[in-house]
Amino acid sequence: MRIDETHRVWLVASIVILGAATAVYVIYALAAPHGPSGGSPIGLVFGFTGFGFMIYAGLLGARKKVPIMRLGRAQGWMRGHLWLGLLALPLILFHGGFHFGGLLTSILLWLLIITVLSGVFGAILQHYLPTVILERVPMETIYDEIDRVRDQLRVEAEGFVADLCGGGVPEAEAMALVPEGGIRAGGFTAMRPRGGGGVQYGLTEAEVEPVRSFFQTEMLPFLLEPSAKSSRLGDDTRAVAAFTKLRMLAPAAAHPVIANLENLCEEERQLTRQARLHKMLHTWLLVHIPLSLALLLLSVFHAVIALRY
Amino acid sequence: MSTLFGTFLGPMVQLTIDGKEVAAPASATIFDAARAHGIPIPTLCHMQNETPVGVCRLCVVEAGGRVLTASCVRQVENGMKVVTNSDRVLAARRTLLEILMSDHPSPCARERQSGDCELEMQARNHGITEIRYPKRYFTRPKDDSSLAIAVDHEACILCDRCIRGCNEIRQNLVLGRMGKGAGAGVAFDLNTPMGESSCISCGECMVSCPTGALTNKRIAGTELPIPAGAVPAEPEDLLELPVFKGVSGTFLEMNKGAIVKRSFHPGDVICREGDFGSTAFYIAEGKAAVSISTPMAHVKTHGGAGGWFSRLTSSLIGRDSDAREEETSQGYIPIDASVDLAYSNPVAELGPGDLFGEMTCMSFYPRSATVKALTDCTMYEMLRNVLDILLKNKSFRARLGKEYKRRALETHLRGVPMFSELSPDFVERLMDNVKLIRLSPGQVICKQGEPADSFYLVRIGFVKVTETYPGGELVIAYLSRGDSFGEIGLLGAGARTATCTALDHVELVKISADDFNAMVDQFPGVRRGLQALADERQRQNAERMAALGTISLDSFLGQGLMEAQSLLVLDLARCTRCDACVRACADAHDGITRLVREGQRFDRYLVATSCRHCKDPLCMVGCPVGSIRRRNSLEVIIEDWCIGCGLCARNCPYGNINLHPFQVMADDPDNPGRRIAMVKQKATSCDLCTEHAEPSCVYACPHDAAHRVDPRKFFSELLGTKV
Repeated sequence: MRIDETHRVWLVASIVILGAATAVYVIYALAAPHGPSGGSPIGLVFGFTGFGFMIYAGLLGARKKVPIMRLGRAQGWMRGHLWLGLLALPLILFHGGFHFGGLLTSILLWLLIITVLSGVFGAILQHYLPTVILERVPMETIYDEIDRVRDQLRVEAEGFVADLCGGGVPEAEAMALVPEGGIRAGGFTAMRPRGGGGVQYGLTEAEVEPVRSFFQTEMLPFLLEPSAKSSRLGDDTRAVAAFTKLRMLAPAAAHPVIANLENLCEEERQLTRQARLHKMLHTWLLVHIPLSLALLLLSVFHAVIALRY
Repeated sequence: MSTLFGTFLGPMVQLTIDGKEVAAPASATIFDAARAHGIPIPTLCHMQNETPVGVCRLCVVEAGGRVLTASCVRQVENGMKVVTNSDRVLAARRTLLEILMSDHPSPCARERQSGDCELEMQARNHGITEIRYPKRYFTRPKDDSSLAIAVDHEACILCDRCIRGCNEIRQNLVLGRMGKGAGAGVAFDLNTPMGESSCISCGECMVSCPTGALTNKRIAGTELPIPAGAVPAEPEDLLELPVFKGVSGTFLEMNKGAIVKRSFHPGDVICREGDFGSTAFYIAEGKAAVSISTPMAHVKTHGGAGGWFSRLTSSLIGRDSDAREEETSQGYIPIDASVDLAYSNPVAELGPGDLFGEMTCMSFYPRSATVKALTDCTMYEMLRNVLDILLKNKSFRARLGKEYKRRALETHLRGVPMFSELSPDFVERLMDNVKLIRLSPGQVICKQGEPADSFYLVRIGFVKVTETYPGGELVIAYLSRGDSFGEIGLLGAGARTATCTALDHVELVKISADDFNAMVDQFPGVRRGLQALADERQRQNAERMAALGTISLDSFLGQGLMEAQSLLVLDLARCTRCDACVRACADAHDGITRLVREGQRFDRYLVATSCRHCKDPLCMVGCPVGSIRRRNSLEVIIEDWCIGCGLCARNCPYGNINLHPFQVMADDPDNPGRRIAMVKQKATSCDLCTEHAEPSCVYACPHDAAHRVDPRKFFSELLGTKV
């Protein structure tokens, strides 16, 4: 979620809550003869409030499971998750008097710190990465569609090369890329225009050989395994150099085809970039969510044990 | 010898033709006398069953005078010496033929079709191989507007045979001459395209034409298959039917393969909803039931989780118990037949004289309903060229017109609550006075600014309503079967406020201004209802026109965003690609999403693949059962009775309508009377989650990235800063 001026109310409210809590804590810490304690009434208030914020933050996951239930707009829940989840850390620190305590409480506090930090890290990613994707992946597609679009790119490239050098793409293979239920069913990706198709260039074998060779030895392996570090086509600058060199070797009539191949490589790189950024945007959740669950469960356990005994 | 002229005869005269002494009635022409005695005289403009006019001059002969004379109009005289093949005569004919051939598009359509263009045959007979005269410096047009007959004015030799066939033989008075000199030609009515004229497609002109100027238009592959229980319809049998009375037998012979006579037994399925076809059926005997599959009830999800919880909070709401506020105005499902179907019980009966499948046949729309034989039935299945002949036939129209008008008025006029207070007497009066009019695709019904002279009900087809503004034209609405228009001009200033154009083959019930005014004067409730409708339409039009003036940007227009009323836009600088919007949409619609998080970009916004509720909703054009339509609040919705033909999905330029399989109970084709579970396609598109205050996709977006917006307002600031 992008943190911008629309968060002003939450920011002010959080500062007020934090300020108030800090003031209470300072007064309480100075006045307590044995120092602040989690078991004291004020310590318990901090503990319950912090736990309540954690519960609220944790409920976002449950809220997402019922997206159409009218329980308040999801963005409101998300803002609450961000700010109250963040506030939970100082409140719990006030609750424990900045002491880690025993094993369980130490684990709990570390879990909370890591969870909050991972959440802050995720919020930073979510603040910046969408803009990065917007700017660096203009040919963005649906993440789950990337493999299929890659297949389309490969078939398209083979079509261009076949038109120039002879041979062709098996029809069955091309048709296999049409989504089930027809072109429309896949939405915009399925309607993506495809190139290639029966243009005759009238070049000799010798003239088209550099293109054929380049395609077979460099481009096709790159299209099949775009994340391979060894391919120079995976790098913007080196790819430009590679295609510039290819243009010098091939006759002018082949240059439009080379331009098309270069565009396909650019799209392939963008897909790779998109996949990488998408993973960055979501992988932190693999840490944040399990730790949050563990934190909540252990917090309940801690509360029961502490209050019971 | 006298027997050569039959029995009417009268006084006989003696004359010599090519040296041969012959006798002929005094009233006969030289042409008739020569032909009766086996002496051929070539002609182009003369037909034995038409009044001779002597315009082509090919039949000239020497009859003793200073100049050659046209034998088809010159009467015989006693002692006359006629020479039909002198050098002078032959030279004159060759000159005439050369002049005619110089302008003739040889080989013409008739020569190509059947090799019997009379002009080209005469030219060959006279040994004309080279033309010495220059070709006409301008070309004459072709007229392809008729479904049955092709017109090529370039091949017309102005022999007038078609005009005499139309006016003398059939007495239809459609064809005539127009223009002068080199610009002269034949014309339908006041020089309107044939398909839009009052021509009834009897075929007499085409049968009379000696060249390829008027030819039979055979649609490619028009030979209908002859399934079991069917026999080819012979022209002689068809001419026995009252509905084909007045049609040229030759014309029917030419279209022989395009109509078959079929027999059905009770329970036989004649056509099935959603199937594609190209034929219409005329019921000669027997009765048939027309129906659509039981409409699926609305799936209403009252908020809830996915999976089993979603099912718990979803319910199937029946049609009757879920009538929308605006649906009080329409209680029927329009289909491609002379009857409509009730919401509650979508079954009706068709009987002898009824015609169904007109829209499928004329405009290739999918079948809108399933028709089953109730009794032993005899039907004529026909292709569009024959249907066109039938629909234009005077006797057919006279027979069906009254019934159609009654049904149209009963269903579409009295069925609307606004008109419910019309008395039976007044409806009877309307029935006598209203006219059924047919229009071809593209034909303008009324133009903006013209005086308003009538009110219309749409019986068949689609009408596009547009309003012009400085610099362009705005599509206001598409009207289909059951809709009405024309009330604004009649109730207001007296001028049309919009232009209405037939999008396909349209049939309208036309109520004159006099009858309309009598109706609103006599029934104040009708006036109030119509006035309210007119006010609402004008208010909406004014809103649209006002919006038009605010934004004009090529890229904005290029993406069709101007056409949208409501766009789902995703702010890509905020969107984390979590797909919460897609999941919410799927949860709200029984597990099937109606949006795809992909589409065109405008600045940092992604215009998602989801219904835009266009101002010009092309998707609505052609729906055979009218299930995709606009609500009063202008969003486009797809009703339950969608038959899954997919036409709307193909029409949508943005790929925003998809077809999804649903399980329904339907008739078992193998076991009549039994119902089985079947998978049926149904079109789906965004319905804006109208049962909620906000679309679920927007509501469920945790990052404030998804918005449903009016593009003009939403982008206006952006456009203003970028320009």
